[in-house]
Amino acid sequence: MNEIYNPNPTILKTAGKRGTRASSGLWDLDEGLAGGCGLCDDHSVSESIDQNEVFDLVRFITDPEHKHMTLEELMVVSAPQCSVSNETNRVLIEFTPTVPHCGMSTVIGLTLRVRLLRALPNRFKVDIRVKPGSHQSENELNKQLNDKERVAAALENPALLIVLEECLESAQNRVRGHAHQ
Amino acid sequence: MEKVERLIRTWVATQQEVQVTETVAEISGGRITLLNVVQGLGEYLISDEGEMRSKGVSFLSAVLKKSSPDSFSRQAVRVLMTFYCGKLDDTETIVPSLQGLVTLVTLPRFTSSDALEVAKALFTHVKMRALTVHPRYAAFSILDTLVSNHRESLKSMGKEFLTGYLNIADGEKDPRNLFLAFSINRVLLIEFDISSHVESFFDVTFCYFPITFRPPPDDPYGITPEQLKEKLLGCLSATPAFGRLGIDLFIEKLTAGSPVTKRDALKALQVCLPVYGSGTAEMSSKKLWNCLRLEIFQPVDVETEDSALLATQVLVKTIYEGQDVQVDGVEGFARAITQECLEILKQPEKSQARHAIKTICALLSTTPSVSRYVIAKAIPHFIGLFQNPDEIANRDSVVSHLVDICEALRESPQVTNGEGDLASLKDETLGVFVVGLKAFSSRRSALRGLRSMVETQGLITGEELSFIVHSVNEVILDEEDDEETSDALVKLLASISTASAQHVTGGALPLLFIALPDEAPSRDSPIEISKYRRVLQLLARLCIQPTLFETLVIRLSAKLDILFSRAVDAEDTEPIAAYAHSLLQTLSRVLAVKVKENHVDIPKYLDLLVIPLYNLFVLSALRRPDGIATNERLLVVAGKVISFVVRVLFTRKQEELVNGLSALYQGGVTDTITTGHKKLPADAKFTPFKVSWELTPSLANLISLLAAAVLQLRQEVGVPPHGDSMNEHFKRALVWSVNVAQNTLQRDSMLHMVASRVNKRIVDLGPFIDELLPEFWKEYIKNNQLPATTRKNALTAWLWVVKGLLVRGDPRALSLTENLFDLFSDEAINWDAASSIGKIAAATEVLTKTNYVVTKFLAVQKFTNELLPRLMKNAQVSSDPVVQTAYLVGLSSLMRVVHKATYAHEMPTLMPLLLRGLSLPDNEIRVGVIDTLIATTDPNSKDNELVSEYASSLITVMLKNAKVKDMVSPAVRVSALRYIGILPSAVRYDILHPQKATVIRELSTCLDDPRRVVRDEAVYARTKW
Repeated sequence: MNEIYNPNPTILKTAGKRGTRASSGLWDLDEGLAGGCGLCDDHSVSESIDQNEVFDLVRFITDPEHKHMTLEELMVVSAPQCSVSNETNRVLIEFTPTVPHCGMSTVIGLTLRVRLLRALPNRFKVDIRVKPGSHQSENELNKQLNDKERVAAALENPALLIVLEECLESAQNRVRGHAHQ
Repeated sequence: MEKVERLIRTWVATQQEVQVTETVAEISGGRITLLNVVQGLGEYLISDEGEMRSKGVSFLSAVLKKSSPDSFSRQAVRVLMTFYCGKLDDTETIVPSLQGLVTLVTLPRFTSSDALEVAKALFTHVKMRALTVHPRYAAFSILDTLVSNHRESLKSMGKEFLTGYLNIADGEKDPRNLFLAFSINRVLLIEFDISSHVESFFDVTFCYFPITFRPPPDDPYGITPEQLKEKLLGCLSATPAFGRLGIDLFIEKLTAGSPVTKRDALKALQVCLPVYGSGTAEMSSKKLWNCLRLEIFQPVDVETEDSALLATQVLVKTIYEGQDVQVDGVEGFARAITQECLEILKQPEKSQARHAIKTICALLSTTPSVSRYVIAKAIPHFIGLFQNPDEIANRDSVVSHLVDICEALRESPQVTNGEGDLASLKDETLGVFVVGLKAFSSRRSALRGLRSMVETQGLITGEELSFIVHSVNEVILDEEDDEETSDALVKLLASISTASAQHVTGGALPLLFIALPDEAPSRDSPIEISKYRRVLQLLARLCIQPTLFETLVIRLSAKLDILFSRAVDAEDTEPIAAYAHSLLQTLSRVLAVKVKENHVDIPKYLDLLVIPLYNLFVLSALRRPDGIATNERLLVVAGKVISFVVRVLFTRKQEELVNGLSALYQGGVTDTITTGHKKLPADAKFTPFKVSWELTPSLANLISLLAAAVLQLRQEVGVPPHGDSMNEHFKRALVWSVNVAQNTLQRDSMLHMVASRVNKRIVDLGPFIDELLPEFWKEYIKNNQLPATTRKNALTAWLWVVKGLLVRGDPRALSLTENLFDLFSDEAINWDAASSIGKIAAATEVLTKTNYVVTKFLAVQKFTNELLPRLMKNAQVSSDPVVQTAYLVGLSSLMRVVHKATYAHEMPTLMPLLLRGLSLPDNEIRVGVIDTLIATTDPNSKDNELVSEYASSLITVMLKNAKVKDMVSPAVRVSALRYIGILPSAVRYDILHPQKATVIRELSTCLDDPRRVVRDEAVYARTKW
């Protein structure tokens, strides 16, 4: 893992909160006033898991090669690249490696998988793919990432697991910071 | 003489402090002399036994230490000095001799020639390696005193002194000794001629770099690594002679070291480079940059990166200090790194560009000539990139880099003219930003850039300001913008208005006001709604200064008038109410800021805003009682606006207002409120307290506006009716809240007024509290003939009175609360009675100091301390299960509202009770209990014994409360999951391990919760496990 595949990746200045949580409605209420916050005990309300929520789960994962940058900043994932279907219980993430020969793609794919494995209800079948045309060994990679046994085998490799945990560590902390802002 | 001998004998045998003190007393009393002491010691000093000799000298040194410095004649000093120096070559006496010398050298009659002799003796006889820490410390202390008191004569010793000292200092390891040694080193390095000993000095100083010493836990000397580092740094940077050698060593440490070592080396470079001088710096610049580049472009952490940037700055400053050349005259190092960075910046969107721009910005605050050079190269570079059609996709990055430069320049303005000045490139830069505004992607950066240009002193002219405002106006109404862009926009406009307010008032504000519609958009046009909301947000942030605020009030009041009059005939009033609500919300938000900043113009809005608001609401409510004027949300926010203004009024003004309002609300006399404004029709009767309920129950909602003013009254302001009827009046108010009030708003408004008045005017209300309140209790609360809802409402009314008393520390609060326990067996209302205890103790926004409420420090805590033990005891042992549960409810309600310190010591007893509380069939209580548990569980220590003990039952019960099929309330689910998320960091893993599989399995069902907030917590908890 000493080889650096992309020493100088292109970065995205993370856009504001636009698109992730839209506020709407007729009234402009301060939080907590008249029960306007999300915790009102209206038991009938149901919000299904959507694309933005899945994206929020993975956006702050850090890149294994650039530990101080997130997958979102490196434009590896974005909201439109995550798709969710609550009817068929499927989630598909198509991520974009920063360079076509990126050897870290398997690790990135694996982190995405582990994150969703832990954070999504198990009724979902998760597919992780690279975006068509973004990697030189696309088919092989897709096969590898969606092969149950190979994923399980990879997760038994302690060294790899440490890398994964490192990348995932920030995923949660930042989500929380974000939600509590 | 005999006495001295006796004292010495005793001391040698026992070594007691007493003999020393006595001897000193004898000397200072003039009965004996020091010489006598030496004579008395004679036999010991020449004894064959080493131990005796040592003791003899020790006694002398001890006496010396205790004696007053003035009691030594010149001759005595001389004799003692010779004596001690003579004893240095005896291994038995060297240690006490050094101790003696430590005192001796500080004496006023100790001369320079003595100093020379002591130094020579030290160098000849003292072998540091043979000594333990303490005598070594003595030797350093002696040298330290000599160097500070007799520096000139020591200089005359020349090489002999330096070599001697180097021998002594060589190989020292003890931090306390080093602390002294470093101080001496620095003096020698700076003041003595060390040219022939540079290498040796280098060895005895740089060998300690970097300092890695960590003090033992209870270090008696209290030397911290930071202090030691500071001292060492003083030596390293003492002389330019260390230059070459030092830099090489720093480079070595930078390349090989740990992050801490790296930071130390970088810090040392920052301090040392200016001393080592520009020649040395320049010679090593290439080597240094190779290391620094690595730290900047592949940073280990932010701190190291910043430090490396700072070191680069110092390096450049050192090299170019004093050079004042034209742009093209900048050669060498600065030129090389600028070009290197600009080369990287040819790809502005890449991650390396981030580091390159940081370096460029660092260079900007070095020397004027370097800064000019960088500006002259970098800004055109970015302007070129911006204009390059191939780079359009990267414009955002380009703009943001340019902004970084402008911001760096704002921090360190270089006021010069000619080439290399930002001013000379102003037009082009401005052009880039203005074009950047137009595209959404680069707008935020462009706004930031414009702001930093506006804020740079003397850069932007008035004409350019209006050009900027004009360009901003083009995008100001673009509703595509997100929060952060709006934020940047407001900040820019705020900066412009500080520079010159007329550009904003004349340029931007009218546009915003025009954008506010007169008609409320209908409920199916969300775009229109979000548009006016955005405009109002901008206005709220812009119109804080007095003149701008006045404009805002006038404009928004006009809009409100229009809306209220339209609403009289409108069919669907909700959109109108929502729009009016947003307008009032804007006013209240700005007022909140103004109150915080203590603006002096607030009182004048009594006539400009508050009175017209009363007028508007009363008038409209009379015309159409079910219209927007009685809308609860609208009344709440209008009440806020009113209270902000009333709060700052002086006593007399408040009195006038409240008398007028009283008349209005009680008798329907509308003169006070309507003078000079639209009059009410003569036949209109405004009597909100006595309305005919069949027709207009909502009219009483307007009481909330009265309450808004009454709550803000100062203590000395009275409210009619005055005199004896007042007590009856208060009881009637309570009864009104029970029998007449139709909704929570009406009831709360009344009760808040009562509580606030009780608190502020208790002296007038004795009969009410002592006679009428018990009467009320009997008639409405105790009376089990009444329906439960009536009794519950009465309970609420009653508890607000008690709250008013409790806050001011009135002892009657506690005795009244006692009554509640009588109800604990009454199943109709016992839970309400129990939870009233918590409600009484809870803090509210109504009874706060800002509302001029009388408060007493720790009143609530005292109250809790009285009640808690009783609640705990009865919740455990009470024989009747109904009563027992009531106590449990009371306990959890109280714990929820008080600080955890009040009950922390009782936790072992409380824990089982809390767990029981979690199975009570009341969601609010459960949330309360879990919140209490969260508050008492420290997530940063693994030693929560109690939590560990109960971990498994806690987990079981929390999981039960976390699942949607067992628990309908999302609030409980969120709290329960939050608690599960805390456990892994509050309890040792080995305790949790047996539960882990279950928790993870159960949490996976929580991940599929229908509510997103719950899922978020579940994800967090799952990650923690």
